[in-house]
Amino acid sequence: MPRRTGFRHVSLKDLYIAGLVTALIYYLLAPYIEWTTEILIWVLGIVWAFLLFKSGLDYRRILFSFSMSFLAIIGFIYTFFILVLQIRGIPRALALFLLPLLTVAVLGYFKQNIIPTIKIKRLYKIHVPLKRRIKTTLYKLDPIMWFFLIGGSLVLIVFLITPVLLMLLNAFVVPPYVKDIFYNFERIFRPGSRYVRLTPPPGSSLYRFLPLKGGEKLLVITGVNYGILLNSMINAVVVTSVATVLGIIVAFILARYDFPGRTLFRILAMIPLFVTPFVNAYVIRILFGPYGPISAITDALFGWRIEIKSLAGVALAQIMAFYPIVYLNAYSSFINIDPSMEEQAENLGSKGLKLFLTVTLPLALPGIVAGSILVFIFSLEDLGAPIVFQEPNLMSYQIYSGFTTEYGIVSPELAALGFVMLFLAAMGFLAIRSYVGMRSYAMISRGGRWVIRERRLGPLGLAIVYLVLLPLILFTAMPQIGVILLAFNIIPPTGFSLQWDKATPQYFVRLFSDPAVFRYIRNTLMYATIAVVLATTVAIMIAYSVSRTKMKVITPTLDTLATIPLAIPGLVIALGYYYFFLALPNVFKPIPVIGEPLYKLLFPLSPVSGPNTFQAWIILIIAYSIRKLPFVTRSVYAGFQQVHHALEEAALNLGASRSRVIFGVVMPLIFTYILSGAIVGFIYISTEVSTSITIGGLRDDQAPMTFYMMSQYKGGTATGVQVAAAMGVLLILIQLIAILIIVLVFKQRYAFIGV
Amino acid sequence: MTRVRLENVTKIYGRVIAVDNVTFEVESGELFTLLGPSGCGKTTTLRIIAGFEVPEHGRVYFDENDVTYLKPYHRNTAMVFQNYALWPHMTVYDNVAYGLRIRKKVLKLTEEDIKKRVREVLELVKLEGLEDRYPLQLSGGQQQRVALARALVVQPSVLLLDEPLSNLDAKLRIEMREEIKRIQKKLGITTIYVTHDQIEAMSISDRIAVMNKGKLLQYGSPREIYFRPRKLFVADFIGRSNIYVGEVTGVEDKYATVYIEELDSHIKGVMVSDEVKSRKKVSVVIRPETVKLVEKSIGKMENLFKGKIDLAMFMGEKIETRVKIANSSMIIYIPNYMVVSPGEEIVFHIPPENTIVIPEITMED
Ligand SMILES: Nc1ncnc2c1ncn2[C@@H]1O[C@H](COP(=O)(O)OP(=O)(O)OP(=O)(O)O)[C@@H](O)[C@H]1O
Ligand SMILES: [Mg+2]
Repeated sequence: MPRRTGFRHVSLKDLYIAGLVTALIYYLLAPYIEWTTEILIWVLGIVWAFLLFKSGLDYRRILFSFSMSFLAIIGFIYTFFILVLQIRGIPRALALFLLPLLTVAVLGYFKQNIIPTIKIKRLYKIHVPLKRRIKTTLYKLDPIMWFFLIGGSLVLIVFLITPVLLMLLNAFVVPPYVKDIFYNFERIFRPGSRYVRLTPPPGSSLYRFLPLKGGEKLLVITGVNYGILLNSMINAVVVTSVATVLGIIVAFILARYDFPGRTLFRILAMIPLFVTPFVNAYVIRILFGPYGPISAITDALFGWRIEIKSLAGVALAQIMAFYPIVYLNAYSSFINIDPSMEEQAENLGSKGLKLFLTVTLPLALPGIVAGSILVFIFSLEDLGAPIVFQEPNLMSYQIYSGFTTEYGIVSPELAALGFVMLFLAAMGFLAIRSYVGMRSYAMISRGGRWVIRERRLGPLGLAIVYLVLLPLILFTAMPQIGVILLAFNIIPPTGFSLQWDKATPQYFVRLFSDPAVFRYIRNTLMYATIAVVLATTVAIMIAYSVSRTKMKVITPTLDTLATIPLAIPGLVIALGYYYFFLALPNVFKPIPVIGEPLYKLLFPLSPVSGPNTFQAWIILIIAYSIRKLPFVTRSVYAGFQQVHHALEEAALNLGASRSRVIFGVVMPLIFTYILSGAIVGFIYISTEVSTSITIGGLRDDQAPMTFYMMSQYKGGTATGVQVAAAMGVLLILIQLIAILIIVLVFKQRYAFIGV
Repeated sequence: MTRVRLENVTKIYGRVIAVDNVTFEVESGELFTLLGPSGCGKTTTLRIIAGFEVPEHGRVYFDENDVTYLKPYHRNTAMVFQNYALWPHMTVYDNVAYGLRIRKKVLKLTEEDIKKRVREVLELVKLEGLEDRYPLQLSGGQQQRVALARALVVQPSVLLLDEPLSNLDAKLRIEMREEIKRIQKKLGITTIYVTHDQIEAMSISDRIAVMNKGKLLQYGSPREIYFRPRKLFVADFIGRSNIYVGEVTGVEDKYATVYIEELDSHIKGVMVSDEVKSRKKVSVVIRPETVKLVEKSIGKMENLFKGKIDLAMFMGEKIETRVKIANSSMIIYIPNYMVVSPGEEIVFHIPPENTIVIPEITMED
């Protein structure tokens, strides 16, 4: 209830006015004032919001609104970067516009959560002696629970936290003549550095026309270079936004409208999810090349050809590859909305776009953004597209190339860059995760009929579906289809044409006949298998502890840690592992007696141990199992949640020990969840890129398939591309079989990804 | 057989005090019921006895042994869960045999022994012939009996039943509660039974403990609980009652006379404790079925009331009638063969020995 005051009723409109005025003041005064004066404007915005809050502004309008709270979260991140990067002008005015809203959100959060907890703590002063409390906690832990809890935590601490922390630490390593420990960061954030270039180089523009031989014109779309850091951020934001909008539209049509061929559409829409590193981006490059099919169309229509390059190419490739992630999430959100919620709105007279925007979309939003944030992270860390489009002005490319230039030595500046990337990804991830977590209750239905709302399409709708949606879906599936055509030489590696008569399996023959090539396949399969076994074991330990213990701090922390690898870019893991294994052997050296042998044992794990001693495969396996752990954990965890705790207690009650309960009662029940978790893990591991081509790149005879595919591009031989494409087809096959097993054998929906 | 004793047991979940300083003792071989509204802490109490929860305060004893920190699998209790918790991937036989297989080594059982005992217990719960079915292939009542069999087969020292009948239909519920009582008496197992259904509690129990908001309010035989509630909440929760607040005007042995303003009359009833004497305001509880209709012409007599029928509802075995008296009304039951209609005047007598005076005027005390 909004509180009424003596003056008048304050509403969100007042917030917008406050924001608008603050932003305007800033914008008008900006050319004349210094940062010190500008602070006053910020204070104005905050104080204004505070006064509104005090006079009864209903903060719950922000905290409990699906879209407003989302806006607040995004606003925080936005404002933060505007300040850190010292961006001025309109972007800064926008931040000031958001300021009052954010202030009220913070105040509201405080009032809502912090103050009541403090009050309740005071009210209920029930004193439980510490000894008793400890005893109570210990009582809940059987030896096997201990083992799971400690084992799971230990794995994460040693192989996740420590490496990442080491990387962070290295970000603060500065040259001896520098006093400032933020030196590396300052190099990144200083405006005008190659990382942040607020004014792009003169003459650069998003697109331009070039003359071609023969009097034709070529439209080259490149994107503008704002410096490495900003490029990465802009790219990620653009990719995420476009992918989200696209995903929502496709999902909504497929979820809510019935038309002939819908099932086929659904299947086609998933095709881009087949990961074929590098090759798919390469196909996109051909498709959008000056002699590709798109150019043929524009040439016929407008008289010019088109080429999409550099940053624009990266964005395009990522949008096409990642939008199905949003699509899948949005799709299941749409079909999970309790129909009565929409019916109620219709009943009250809402319809069409209004109904969608006011009821359907807000209800689906948590599910959708859970997919969007993954797109954001994937886009940040993606290496495939930048390498194929030869775009070095992205963070991911920088970290990657820093890895491979000077053998064995990674500069601290790279660690700082990794830190920034981690910060971006992890912050977005945690914010979204809490946003989604807060709202998961929204979907609980209170019984009743559950018929998914579906409409038949009218003629216009059908026309849109077949003339717009179908081409769009087909188009986004082109890279994967192209990979197959390329592998069979139906598309030649350069230029573009369909040459059915020249189809040949020769590149597949090479895959299996050339021992050098075959080795990569064997490596991938072996590593993936071992890593999956490890990951599944750890996932079981963690998922069980998390679902069955309710300890303060420890349980939620472990839960977060088990999902956080989703938010840690692979390149950060690669950097972290680099530092970790560099340091590892030396840690044990000073220990008497066992120190020396341990050092000898662990030395081959050090990345500087030499190209023939370095055992990349061990590190790769560990990295794989940690990086893809969340995918396995999620499935296993879902399994444990299916098992009502009473089923376990009934067994404990009859005298079965905890281990007997776990292995005799629970495991058989959730066997399919574990296996499908393992299979999902296998898919992700076998297509992993970041650590494969960095760590793997340090020892190429132990590298996996993805590394080979990458090196074929860099080598640039025409046949190499096609052998890589053949490998891509093999990867598609692996993924397809795995998915079919999950869907057909375990009868589970292949839930792809989510927070 | 085992005696179960809880001493000052308190269990806190975050902000909720689920069980608040509860003390009671269950005699060996007794069927003891925890009765109370939803959320009052019955399940939590049961789970503390089974060892799934440890109390923040207080102790749990089995006979003389402190079992507060004994692991659930060492307590030899057997619980029947509210949702039965049958393992869906095991057959009825395997479900029932589970506990025995666990104890196989200790009890030196062979597969033959197990088979024999499972068959016996399935016979006891009348489930012979369903050994090879899976739980999902059984009806609710059958599932419930499997759960009971699974608990009984290990010959537990304490049997814990958490609303075992709540998922069954009304008829089956009555059948099954007779069955449980029969089996319990036959085996003589100390049993703690949880329910929120007072009729079920009355019919099955040797003794009942009534709980509310985590507190144990009163325990005693069903008769005691029904006829001599010591707390207003108990009086209100068990059976129907008319409750009036009034002032004590006189005391005589165990009886007190109370003036009730809204009825504008004095009424005599049994004091549940001497505390009544020291209270200014007290409550009077009148059970609708204790009221007796009398001739209109009857002379002056204590606890005699006159009123106009306001509403009469035929309920089958009785007629529930609301009678207007002074500024208030009273619910009374009258025999089903009578024909009454609104507006009619009736006179009735409320026997003092069935009227209870409680030294409380709110449920919160
Ligand atoms: N695991 C738990 N965490 C937090 N609160 C709990 C938990 N279990 C029970 N509670 C709370 O403790 C109180 C007592 O719960 P309990 O399950 O014992 O009630 P009950 O009497 O069995 O109710 P019902 O008849 O509905 O089964 C309730 O307020 C409940 O919300
Ligand atoms: Mg209960």
